[in-house]
Amino acid sequence: MLENQDPATLKYVGKGALRAEGVEKMTGQAVYASDMVMPGMLYAQVKKSPHARAKILGIDVSKAEALPGVRAVLVGSELDYRLGLYVVDKDILAKGEVRHYGEAVAAVAADTLEIAKAAVDLIEVKYEVLPPILNHMDALKKDAPLVHPDLGTYDFVKAAFTPVPGTNIANLTKLRKGDVEKGFAESEWIIEREYTNPSVQHVPMETHVAIVQWKTGDDVTIWTSAQSPFTVRSLFCYAFKLPLNKVRVVIPHVGGGFGGKAGIHIEPLVACLSRKAGGAPVKFQATREEEFSLLPCRSALTYRIKTGVRSDGKIVAQKMSMYWDAGAYADYAVNVTRASGYSGAGPYEIPNAWLDAYTIYTNKPYGTAYRGFGHVEFFWGLERHMELVAQAIGMDSLEFRRKNALRPGSVTLTGEVISENSGNVLKCINEAAASIGYGSLSADEKAREKETGRKIGKGIAALHKAPAMPPFTATAVIIRMNSDGTVLVNLALTEIGQGSVTAYSQIVAERLKFRLDQVKVTVEKDTDRDPYDWQTVASKGIILTGNACILACDDLLKGAYETAGQILRAQSCDLDHDDTRVFVRHHPEQGVTFASIAVGYAYPDGNAIGGPLIGVGRYVAQGLSNLDKETGQGYPALDWTYGAHGIVVEVDPATGEFRILKIASIFDVGKAINPDLVRGQCIGGMVQGLGTAVCEGYIYDQEGHLLNPSFTDNKIPTSKDIPDEIDCAVVETPQLDGPYGARGVGEHPMISVAPALGNAIQHAVGAELLHMPIRAEDVWRAMRNSGPIDNWITKTPSGSCRSDPAARRHDPDHAITP
Amino acid sequence: MTRISLTVNGKRYERDVAENRTLLRFLREDLGLIGTKEGCGAGECGACTVLFDGLTVNSCMVLAVEADGRAVETIEGEAKDGKLSDLQEAFQKHHAVQCGFCTPGMIMSTRELLHRTPKPTVAEIKEGIEGNFCRCTGYQQIVEAVLDVSGQLEKKGELRHA
Amino acid sequence: MLHGFRYAAPRSRSELLDLLAEHGDHAKVLAGGTDLLVNIRGGNMKPGLVIDVKRVEGYGGLAWDPAEGLSLLPAATINDVLRDKRVRANFPLLAVCAQDLASYQIRNRATVIGNVVNASPCSDMAPALLCLGARAEIASARGSRSVLFSEFFTGVKKTVLAKDEILERIVVPASAAGTKGEYRKLKRINGHDLGIVGVAIARKNGSLRIAVSSAAPTPVLVAGLPGTASVDEAVAAVLAAVSPISDVRCTKEYRLFMIETFVRRLMEEMK
Ligand SMILES: Cc1cc2nc3c(=O)[nH]c(=O)nc-3n(C[C@H](O)[C@H](O)[C@H](O)COP(=O)(O)OP(=O)(O)OC[C@H]3O[C@@H](n4cnc5c(N)ncnc54)[C@H](O)[C@@H]3O)c2cc1C
Ligand code: FES
Ligand code: FES
Repeated sequence: MLENQDPATLKYVGKGALRAEGVEKMTGQAVYASDMVMPGMLYAQVKKSPHARAKILGIDVSKAEALPGVRAVLVGSELDYRLGLYVVDKDILAKGEVRHYGEAVAAVAADTLEIAKAAVDLIEVKYEVLPPILNHMDALKKDAPLVHPDLGTYDFVKAAFTPVPGTNIANLTKLRKGDVEKGFAESEWIIEREYTNPSVQHVPMETHVAIVQWKTGDDVTIWTSAQSPFTVRSLFCYAFKLPLNKVRVVIPHVGGGFGGKAGIHIEPLVACLSRKAGGAPVKFQATREEEFSLLPCRSALTYRIKTGVRSDGKIVAQKMSMYWDAGAYADYAVNVTRASGYSGAGPYEIPNAWLDAYTIYTNKPYGTAYRGFGHVEFFWGLERHMELVAQAIGMDSLEFRRKNALRPGSVTLTGEVISENSGNVLKCINEAAASIGYGSLSADEKAREKETGRKIGKGIAALHKAPAMPPFTATAVIIRMNSDGTVLVNLALTEIGQGSVTAYSQIVAERLKFRLDQVKVTVEKDTDRDPYDWQTVASKGIILTGNACILACDDLLKGAYETAGQILRAQSCDLDHDDTRVFVRHHPEQGVTFASIAVGYAYPDGNAIGGPLIGVGRYVAQGLSNLDKETGQGYPALDWTYGAHGIVVEVDPATGEFRILKIASIFDVGKAINPDLVRGQCIGGMVQGLGTAVCEGYIYDQEGHLLNPSFTDNKIPTSKDIPDEIDCAVVETPQLDGPYGARGVGEHPMISVAPALGNAIQHAVGAELLHMPIRAEDVWRAMRNSGPIDNWITKTPSGSCRSDPAARRHDPDHAITP
Repeated sequence: MTRISLTVNGKRYERDVAENRTLLRFLREDLGLIGTKEGCGAGECGACTVLFDGLTVNSCMVLAVEADGRAVETIEGEAKDGKLSDLQEAFQKHHAVQCGFCTPGMIMSTRELLHRTPKPTVAEIKEGIEGNFCRCTGYQQIVEAVLDVSGQLEKKGELRHA
Repeated sequence: MLHGFRYAAPRSRSELLDLLAEHGDHAKVLAGGTDLLVNIRGGNMKPGLVIDVKRVEGYGGLAWDPAEGLSLLPAATINDVLRDKRVRANFPLLAVCAQDLASYQIRNRATVIGNVVNASPCSDMAPALLCLGARAEIASARGSRSVLFSEFFTGVKKTVLAKDEILERIVVPASAAGTKGEYRKLKRINGHDLGIVGVAIARKNGSLRIAVSSAAPTPVLVAGLPGTASVDEAVAAVLAAVSPISDVRCTKEYRLFMIETFVRRLMEEMK
């Protein structure tokens, strides 16, 4: 729905409107779920497993129940409901066996937080500790214990996923394009490497919180910090077999989500507590420590890539194996696997491709969606690989990227043909390179090297991502006109900081030709009031909801023109309007005000026509299809947003310590609806990507205890960690079906920051980095060609647990040529 | 329980508090001043930053009883007479807020920074807010807002159209 | 959420010492609380009584006596140290170490005494105090004693303090005034972080003292090196004194390498 409007005539789209809900946030008046208190509210606390895998032999809750002020105590054996987004594999409280450190085994609701905590401490759980399966590569072995022995009996979404019963494989996604063996036969060079990264935490500043009241008659209200109200509602109703109209989900301001709040998490448990406590509202808020292990994380990945390159530098074959560590439950991880599977070769054309992507159960906290949905993780490997392949074949890596980049006419992994309007990755790459002066050092940089003794290097990494969503993803927007001619916009895409409320206000004001201050998009979401939206995920909001906004505006105006036409005795085609009136185009003095027709027009004698003006816009993704389960062929992509980062880094060649001097981030956003908001996403996402790149990651001991579940040992970037210079730019190749040509960019800034940094460090000091995060020690080790330390499972707390190459050589399934 | 008397944003309060209540929970739960947030409860994130006798503290690391006889300032005292402060205006103008959860603490930290260093350098600004985590903005626009409010911003940060 | 305790805020030294004499076995002293409250929240400490020292008369701030030196009192915060001109003029190493401790708002509360009594191997103030030959003035209802910091730390989070004792005053001797010092701290990020290793070097009148944090169960002091010691000699002496481990923050090998690198670089810079 590109509105072919001359940019010069746009009043709001493309301009930097202020954040609509900014004032409320600035003053501390914005209310988040964590701030809410309900009359008669109880407080919940959870008893968590100290073991990664153990049989529950018995739970004694008698002391907890006897504590004054305790209103409900719950254990898993009382509950017979199972949850799961795509594979229904998770009990609300562990039953029989605990599957990860930090898993909930019992819960309490009490009059105060203090009583609830004391009660939880009084619950005694007897465990028989079992040997956990921690490394996902080990979990694939034939004799590995099964995390879910009953996998074969679970429900799952059959159109998209393939669990393998009798194994730890929650899903296997396959992709086949062309003939890889033939491609390898034509190749001059074949290069194979393995890249790894650990699980990480999203770290929204507001931890997960929910208040649930299960009233008599099964009327349930859920106030939650979730991202997707309708997903919470549908999964909740699925688990409890309730009709959708019995459950209301309300989402106030949300203190960050980043995918960690995309699905359903603590709401069902809190609901069961409320029901057991006789219907009082119950509140649970995760502590920061609980956020790390009771709640989900981002999956770890082992990515093996084998690339065949022709003598002219063109990639002709690529075999890719992704091993995703789901942790104990499949949650979003199976869909991360699917989405990464179909885009795993990046923005490059690979004529012959073969990809297998496994989602593997282990006894660790489970993975979920996280900004980038797999792309941050696999682009680490992919864009490091592009660098190493270029190096191996003796070609400049920028040239190598340009040579293989997707361009109009290229065919993607799934068989989609790229067009002029798909976005321009080449331009992004070139702009990033130009911005950092890729390829050489400036006089200043040379002087700086001399003065400091540190080495400066420059690296580039490209990226792409399409929304990972069902082909039939839909949304709707309702616009109601108030009797003063202002409008109220209801839609269920949640404002989690990305600025959607502001952007949609701009689109609505633009389309209606109203002033921005006439438009209010509600911040709070409510499934009883707002029209359906699938989920607040995937960077799909601007296209789907944006289009629905335009359609709702048109619908509203149609109604207004109908009423006005009757009053003015004119056909709709002869009417026009401004921000206050509908009028006859060739007799502008003949008109009626919106205010006079907003809730129905009354003639002087009291006769009335019209009725309240409401506009409805419905939009469903167009032209997408399920992917063939054997070949992965089909149309998964609503749109592709391309981008590239360029990084200038300064590295201490002795110690491996480094500092990022500059980053340039370029994205083809089609059209920046609000450049200031786009810049905010670019910088915020980039810095979050830097966290992943340099310091974040889960560290376990051999028993599967998480060793760093807090900010003390899981650092995130601070103000002192951002690059000295930040250049953010957009390319605008309009998306034909995007509102005003726009496409999504919420996740993309986080993708490929790590490989850009890794590539830059390699250019500076030659360190060949295969594992992220890149800590000073990793650079130091890589410079000495000694194996990296990694964050997966530590022998001594910092031993290594990468898939053991020696072991793999004996295992033909996982053999890797060194 | 111990009886304490203190001022918060210039208003006097007298309350009985449990000895183990943090200043953070006292402000939020006893006084209903929910603008001050909890991000970790362990002194790391700065979401709970308030001024304590004029100096920033992590209110999750202070006991309410310690506030007896003290003056506390929170985000609720920043806007006056229904008007945003200059600092808040600058945050709004430069999009220094996204989800907003870090914002109250961030504003309290920058407020004190500007008290002690009216014209902070970029390095001083970054140093001044290093104890305030923001997961959304990447800090750059916050730095720009502080530069602007202290009259030092040469050029508004902008998205380049390549 | 903190487990329950009683709270006392004595106004006088004798009141404080009496409280400690009576309740010492289940009481904890509260200064800035930035270690204590973290420990109570985490369930590592469950004191029945918390005794706030900040309201004791005469316990605030810093004092300077040209003959004796600098006194750091129980309520003296890290930022008090940083704001004090006499510190910068006479003991710059104290300021350098203080500047690297935690974040600004933590430094507004965290005290120097709390930092050393907490006795973490990664204490940032200990290296400065060790290098400057500072001593701890300790008091209890039983009497007073004075202990050099080189004797003060006895293990991970352990000191010579008895349960009824208070560290009343840190004295940085006047004889150390004018000591040149530098501190280098390895962190995981540029923002506030606990040290992975820290090395402080102090030089005065032909004497060289080196202190290292996060390299052994206690902060380590290498004293007695002649001012003329070569870089290699200094490195050898330091490496002989430290015994770093591998943990979630870093491996032993990299700690050793960085200790050596910091010693070499600081020795070169401070020639
Ligand atoms: C987020 C964060 C970051 C941190 N970063 C650093 C860092 O970078 N470097 C670093 O070194 N530390 C760091 N710390 C630890 C802490 O801030 C410091 O150790 C601080 O100096 C402790 O001082 P305090 O006054 O807060 O101590 P408190 O917590 O009040 O006390 C600490 C201990 O000393 C005892 N105590 C206090 N005063 C006395 C006294 N006069 N006599 C006897 N016993 C006493 C207490 O009972 C307690 O056991 C950090 C802490 C936090 C929360
Ligand atoms: S809540 Fe106080 S510092 Fe995080
Ligand atoms: S705006 Fe979300 S944490 Fe700062």
